[in-house]
Amino acid sequence: MEHRRKKILKAAFTLSCAFLLIVLGSGLWAAPKLIQSAKGGNCAACHTDQPALSQSHPDTKDMNLEACRACHTRENMDLTGKLPASHMHLLGGVSCEACHGKTNKPEETPMEKCVACHGPTAKLAEKTKDVKPTNPHTSPHYGTELDCNLCHHQHKKSENYCAQCHSFDFKTP
Amino acid sequence: MKKGDVTEKTLSRRGFLKTAGGAAAVAGFAAGGLGFPSQAQAGPDALPKKWDETCDVLVVGSGFAGLAAAIEAKEAGASVMVLEKMPTHGGNSIINGGVMAVVGSDMQEARGIKDSPDLMLADMMKAGLDMNYPELAKMVAYQSKDAYDWCKQHIGVKFTDPKMLLHMGGHTVARSCPTSIYSGSEIVNKELAKFKELGGTVTTRTYLEKLIRHANGRVVGAQIRTGYRFPDAGSGKVKFVKVKKGVVLASGGFSQDVAFRMTQAPNLVAEVNSTNQPGATAEVLKEAFRVGGNPVQVSWIQLGPWASPDEKGFGLAPHFATGPVFSYGIMVDPKTGKRFISELADRKIRADAIIRTGHAAIGISDDEGQKSCGGPPGTVGKLVERGVVKKFDTLEELSKAHDMPYAAVKESVDNYNSYLKTGTDKEFGRYLQPDAKPIEKAPFYAVRLWPKVHHTMGGVQINTSAQVIGLDGKPIEGLYAAGEVAGGVHGAVRLGSVAVVDCLVFGRIAGKSVAKMKAWS
Ligand SMILES: Cc1cc2nc3c(=O)[nH]c(=O)nc-3n(C[C@H](O)[C@H](O)[C@H](O)COP(=O)(O)OP(=O)(O)OC[C@H]3O[C@@H](n4cnc5c(N)ncnc54)[C@H](O)[C@@H]3O)c2cc1C
Repeated sequence: MEHRRKKILKAAFTLSCAFLLIVLGSGLWAAPKLIQSAKGGNCAACHTDQPALSQSHPDTKDMNLEACRACHTRENMDLTGKLPASHMHLLGGVSCEACHGKTNKPEETPMEKCVACHGPTAKLAEKTKDVKPTNPHTSPHYGTELDCNLCHHQHKKSENYCAQCHSFDFKTP
Repeated sequence: MKKGDVTEKTLSRRGFLKTAGGAAAVAGFAAGGLGFPSQAQAGPDALPKKWDETCDVLVVGSGFAGLAAAIEAKEAGASVMVLEKMPTHGGNSIINGGVMAVVGSDMQEARGIKDSPDLMLADMMKAGLDMNYPELAKMVAYQSKDAYDWCKQHIGVKFTDPKMLLHMGGHTVARSCPTSIYSGSEIVNKELAKFKELGGTVTTRTYLEKLIRHANGRVVGAQIRTGYRFPDAGSGKVKFVKVKKGVVLASGGFSQDVAFRMTQAPNLVAEVNSTNQPGATAEVLKEAFRVGGNPVQVSWIQLGPWASPDEKGFGLAPHFATGPVFSYGIMVDPKTGKRFISELADRKIRADAIIRTGHAAIGISDDEGQKSCGGPPGTVGKLVERGVVKKFDTLEELSKAHDMPYAAVKESVDNYNSYLKTGTDKEFGRYLQPDAKPIEKAPFYAVRLWPKVHHTMGGVQINTSAQVIGLDGKPIEGLYAAGEVAGGVHGAVRLGSVAVVDCLVFGRIAGKSVAKMKAWS
C-alpha cells in the first residue's frame, strides 16, 4: 500500500516537472531576444513570441521616435515610463553600439557616456528646477552627480531612487 | 488606516505599555547570554589558493568613519581600498542631519557659551545610564574640537552661522553645530574629495562577505563580491583581498536589518519604520562576532522621538520638532491635551514616553517658534505643503483637527507661557530657552510625532586605539572598527549630534592605528 502511494506520488512529481519544463521551454515566459541590428520600430525582430503592441496599433516598422510622438504627446498617451529607455534610444537612432561599443559581451555603460550626449548634469538640473515636489536632478546628498543609471534604467523599468527614503512621486522616464 | 497607525498599534500592542516602570522597553537583554561562537569554536579560516588583490588597509564602508580612517591611513603612507556595497557612497552619513556636537567651537565662543569636555562627557554618561565605556566616551568628548577643526581646516567643511547653534535634548548647553546645508553630506562629500585628492577611490557595489582570520590569530584578508547588487546575496563576483596591515570595519549600524534587530529587540517588528538607508544591515557586525569579536550592548537600539509617521524615513519633521516644538513649543498627548514629558529629555526617555501613550504625540508651536526651524531653507513651507506640519489660525482649530480637548490644550500652553516668565518648568523641569517667547502668535503649527528606529548603540568591542577586542579580552590583530558598528561609546542612549563626532574621532584613530601596524607578507 505504502509503496504504491509513494510510486504514484513519484509519478505525479515527474509529470509536473516535465510539464514545467515544457512550459518554460515553449518560451511562454521567455524574455525577448536582443537583436542588435534591429531597427527601433521593428518590434517583432526581438519580440518573437508575443507581439509587443496590440493588434490595433498602427504598424511601427518604419517609425522613429518622432513618428511615435505624432500621437504620443506629453498630454495624450504619454510614453514616459511606458517604454524601456533603451527603446527610446533605439527609436531615436541611438544604436546598441553607441553605448556599448562593438562587442558580443556588452558591459554596463558608465555615466560619462550619458553625459557625453545629454550634456552636463548641472544644465539638466537647471532645466528641471521647477519639477514638483522637488528637483530630481540635484539633492543635498549627491549634488548633481548621482549616477543617471540609478534611476534611468535602459533594459528594465526605470525607478525612482529617491523613493528609498522620500515620498517624491516622480514619473521616471 | 494609515501606515503610521499600524505602526503605533503594533508597537504598543507588543508590550510597550506593559513594560514595568516603562524603562528600557527596547533594551534590556544583556549581550552576555547571546552565545556567539568564539574564534576558538569556529576555528581559523581557510586561506584562498590565490589572492586577487593586495592592499595595506581595507576599509569597509564609505561613511564618516570609513572615509576618516581611509584619509588618515593614506596620509600615513598606506595603500588603501575602500569597499561600499551600495551603488552610492556615504551610507547613513550622507542622509544625516549634519549636526555635530563640539566643545569649544567658534560657534559657542561667538555665543558666549561656556562648556567643557568633562561636561559633555557627563551628559553622555548620564544619557548612557553609565553603561558607556568611559575611556571611549572620553576620547569623543575630549577630541570633539580637534575633529571639528579637522573638518573645517583640513577638509573644508562649512558650518552655519553661530546663531543656528543648537541646544539638543540631553545636552546641558548648546553645543551642536549644523553644517551649512544641514546634511552630513557636507562632511562626507568633502571627506571623499580629500581622499580622491590623495589618490584614493571608493569602489561602490562591492560587498564584504567574509573576513579571513589566520590560524595565528591575525586577520589577513577578506572575501568580497564585486559588482554586487544590493540586496541580492549571491550577486557579483567573489574575489579575495590580501590585507597586509589591517581591516577597518566602518559598516555602520543595523537599524534596517529587521531579522537581526528582532533577535535583539523582538518588539522592533518590520512595521516599525526606520530613518536609515536600506543598506544599514548587520552582516559585517555578525562577521566581526564570527571571527571572535566581543559583542557589546547589541540590544540597545534607539528610536528617534522627533519622527513623523506622515512622511518616509528621517524626513524633514525632525528639524521642526527639534527647534520649534522641543525648544520653543510644547508636545502634548492628544488624548489629554497635556504635556507628559520634558521635551528636552534624552531620546530614549522621550521615545518611550510617546510609545507608552499608545499613539502619536502632537507637537505645538507658533509663528515665533517656527522661526527656530533648522533644515535647508524653506523647510517649514515644504513641511506644510506636504501636510506633515499643519497650520491653523487658532489653537482651538488646531485642537479640533487633532481630536484634542481644547480647554486642556489651552491650559498646557498657558502653563508653559507662565513658566517662561518665572524661568522654571514646574511640571517637568525642562530647560527653558532664554530667548523663548510665549506661544500666542498665530498661525499655530502642529506636527504628529511617532518614533522610528534610528541608531544602534551596540556593536563590537573596541579599545581606545580602535582595535577590535576579542572574547578573550585581547585585541584581534589586524582588525579595527569605528563608527556605528562599534559599541560602547554611547552606552544605553546616544545623544543627538554625538554620532558624527564619534565616527570622525574613532575613524581617524582607526586609520592612524592601522597604518602603524607592521605589514605581514
Ligand atoms: C537620517 C539620519 C540622520 C542623522 N542625523 C544625525 C545628526 O545630525 N547628528 C549625528 O551626530 N548623528 C546623526 N545620525 C547618525 C549618524 O548619521 C550615523 O550614526 C553615522 O552616519 C554612522 O556613520 P558610519 O560611518 O559608522 O556608517 P555609515 O555612514 O552608515 O556608513 C557605513 C557604510 O558601510 C556600508 N556597508 C555595510 N555593510 C557592508 C558590507 N557588507 N560591505 C560593504 N559595505 C558595507 C553601508 O552600505 C554604508 O554605506 C543620523 C542618522 C540618520 C539615519
